[in-house]
Amino acid sequence: MTLQRFVQVVSLTLFLLLLTGAALHYSGWLPLDMFLGLDPAAALLTGLAARVWLGTFLAALALLVLTGLVGRFFCGYLCPLGTLIDGAEACLRQPAAARPGLPPQWRRAKYALLVFCVAAASAGLSLAFLVAPIPLVTRFVALTILPALQLLADGLLQLVAPLADRFDLTRLLYLQLPLPRFDLQWVTLLLVLLILASGRWWSRLWCRCLCPAGALMALCAQRPLVRRRVSEDCIDCGLCARRCPTAAIGDDPRLTAHGECITCQTCRRVCPTGAVKFSFAPAKPVAEKPGVILSRRGLMVTAACGLGSAAITLTGARHLLGETGTRRIIPPHLIRPPGARPENDFLRRCYRCGACLAACPTNTLQPFGLDAGLPGLLTPVITPQIGPCDPTCTACGQACPTRAIRALLPSERIWAKVGTAHILRQKCLAWEFDRKCLVCDEVCPYDAIELRREPGLKVAVPFVVENRCSGCGFCEHHCPVEAQPAIVVAPMEALRLSTGSYRREGRAIGLRLRLSTQKKVAGGDETVYPVDEGQNGSGLPPGFSE
Amino acid sequence: MNSSRPAPPVHQLPGIPAPGAMNRRSFLKHNARLLLWTCAVTAGLRLPRVKAADPVPDIAVAVGSRVPATRAAVDLLGGMGRFVKPGQKVVIKPNMSFGGGPEDGTDTHPDIIRELVTLCKEAGAARVRVLDHTLRREERCIEGVQKACELYGDDVVQAVSRSRFFKAAAIPEGHQMRETDVMRDVLEADVLIAAPVAKSHSGSGVSLSMKGMMGLIYNRGVMHSRYDLHESIVDLASLLKPALVVVDGSRVLSTHGPGGPGLVLKSDTIIASADMVAADAQAVAMFEWYGRKLQPRNVKHIRIAHERGLGRMDVENLTRKQVQVG
Repeated sequence: MTLQRFVQVVSLTLFLLLLTGAALHYSGWLPLDMFLGLDPAAALLTGLAARVWLGTFLAALALLVLTGLVGRFFCGYLCPLGTLIDGAEACLRQPAAARPGLPPQWRRAKYALLVFCVAAASAGLSLAFLVAPIPLVTRFVALTILPALQLLADGLLQLVAPLADRFDLTRLLYLQLPLPRFDLQWVTLLLVLLILASGRWWSRLWCRCLCPAGALMALCAQRPLVRRRVSEDCIDCGLCARRCPTAAIGDDPRLTAHGECITCQTCRRVCPTGAVKFSFAPAKPVAEKPGVILSRRGLMVTAACGLGSAAITLTGARHLLGETGTRRIIPPHLIRPPGARPENDFLRRCYRCGACLAACPTNTLQPFGLDAGLPGLLTPVITPQIGPCDPTCTACGQACPTRAIRALLPSERIWAKVGTAHILRQKCLAWEFDRKCLVCDEVCPYDAIELRREPGLKVAVPFVVENRCSGCGFCEHHCPVEAQPAIVVAPMEALRLSTGSYRREGRAIGLRLRLSTQKKVAGGDETVYPVDEGQNGSGLPPGFSE
Repeated sequence: MNSSRPAPPVHQLPGIPAPGAMNRRSFLKHNARLLLWTCAVTAGLRLPRVKAADPVPDIAVAVGSRVPATRAAVDLLGGMGRFVKPGQKVVIKPNMSFGGGPEDGTDTHPDIIRELVTLCKEAGAARVRVLDHTLRREERCIEGVQKACELYGDDVVQAVSRSRFFKAAAIPEGHQMRETDVMRDVLEADVLIAAPVAKSHSGSGVSLSMKGMMGLIYNRGVMHSRYDLHESIVDLASLLKPALVVVDGSRVLSTHGPGGPGLVLKSDTIIASADMVAADAQAVAMFEWYGRKLQPRNVKHIRIAHERGLGRMDVENLTRKQVQVG
């Protein structure tokens, strides 16, 4: 195994381990956003669109500087997507004769894509989620591959359960792997499968022609300090040019397009005369093979297209991004995670990497569809029917690489109101069917459900006390009414702050959020808990009867 | 005790031959019955001499510090050895649904659960598991109890929620709910012990041992939506009858149960009984609910259970022993 393959395997393994750790909700691992932070395209587009400088961009910047020194080593060695592409190619590759060539000008596409996205980002629309490689591969692994593997592993556990029981291995018997489910997996799956399938005909098509992070690094690596150099021993056999996975070597094998070179060093290894070196000192200045870069005209046209596309997207009626002279149409199920910044800022920062979704212990966070336009695609939303949002959990904020979701302190967390519950009385067992149910009251961690006696109704019925409700969705999740619960959360009155304290803001606007388990009650506190006489018409406390 | 539904004659059941036809099964049955009667009669001959001075009460009440009180209450009933035989598999079902601290009164006190595990181990149980299908996040709900029971290994306490841990079970005596998915481990255990905390419940009045059995099934939502909650609680209790009930009345969540926050009474009381209805009834009668005294019959599922003959709520007619511990 070559050094390149070894490093690739180690890097991919680390990447998968970090994501698996996140998916199994282990803490104490290296930061999950290690790889995400390295993506220069995601950093550039997000920084431009949101007009922010984030500490996490430093890593990407450092990578670009390093690329300027030693070339696109990230693509050749570290990129998990690059490794997957190489792996897929090894499996799918057609014989060389059957592989069509790749016209060199196709390689311009990556610069065009980059320019297009940069122009769009400067207009405030970040397309990082569609094109940046690391968020893409993170989402691919975290939202499609790992859940499937977890399901299979759970099946295996089920198979060994009788044995575990037989030998009293209680821990193995009761091992419950999280079994997350995610919406819209096929969007990411399709995109990545297309990229991987292209390996049948072209090697590293994505890296050479499309990847905007690759384009950025290629721009930095036009003449790196350490680069491919060919000595006088070259016999013009052309083997290196034929083996180069990115076609970075010209017809004259002495010439290199360094921007295309991923420093895999295949050329050095295959050279029969040992003429190829990757080194500092030039034996003597040699000509370089010119890389393909956009023409000035191409640049202007592409930038104009990017700007124009962004402007057209931003004038769509349904999306939530940009200036709003009138009221927005907010989809009732677009409930943002706790600590999500104001929508504009949130949408521009969000990588759609799926890190928060994978980290969410209740699986309530799901990728959103197109109901809020393209800018809302694949952004995280709380889906109470799948799981409630634990009011003490800050996993999503901790996982977010761009702090689109703020990492909240526990004391702040319970004040991060994501919405408000309301009761659909026509479906409610108590309101409509005179049934004693009141599960919503039982499960509400904020004690925001009040049971009152209404004239004409046989049982006490639930009311939501708005300023005690945080929108966590326990009620909606546990409501026994099927096919649309009778109590649902909508993002009404959600607190969205880019800075400052949720607690202070919440108090200022009259919220009374506190967890019921936090309230200490000593004996005889009659003023706080008055007994509502006649709650069920019999003068007895709730749940009792004559 | 009045039995509501007489069982159909044995020979009408499928697979049972008509009377007179003696086969292996009926032969074994006859002999087993004979053996039981012999035992019962012999025991009856022996008991008066040994136990006359100290008859086992129907209900035991121990007041005082929670851990010794737990032991004292079980001892009053004749000790754990009466319920758990050496080599048996025991499941303890406390209320661990809410993950509140002991001061919230929403969950059984971890110390009491540990003491019950200890008692079972002392009685020679081969295996003790503390199980609940928790309402809130599993790890958080059980962590306190896990810590308390560390001594017995880190796998004694389990929160169970996956469907694969449950198995369909018919409820032959069910009026409304005739089938449900019950934890496999409970179905396979030799002894079930209920250890609920005493608390009020906005839907069912109180949440005690009978209501607590809802924590052993997979889908309890239907008990709210499809069935009458009280009727189905009794249906479930007809299937899952704990051999022993130990009610944690060390604190009583007197108002705004089951989740609280509510008025938490410091009552330092443990109630134990082999009759789940009697244990629940005793707890209802003994503590104040929403600032007033109520009767067991004010709780519909206790009343129905009594009427169906699952146990007795007329605690005034039952024998009760009470001790004070340090």
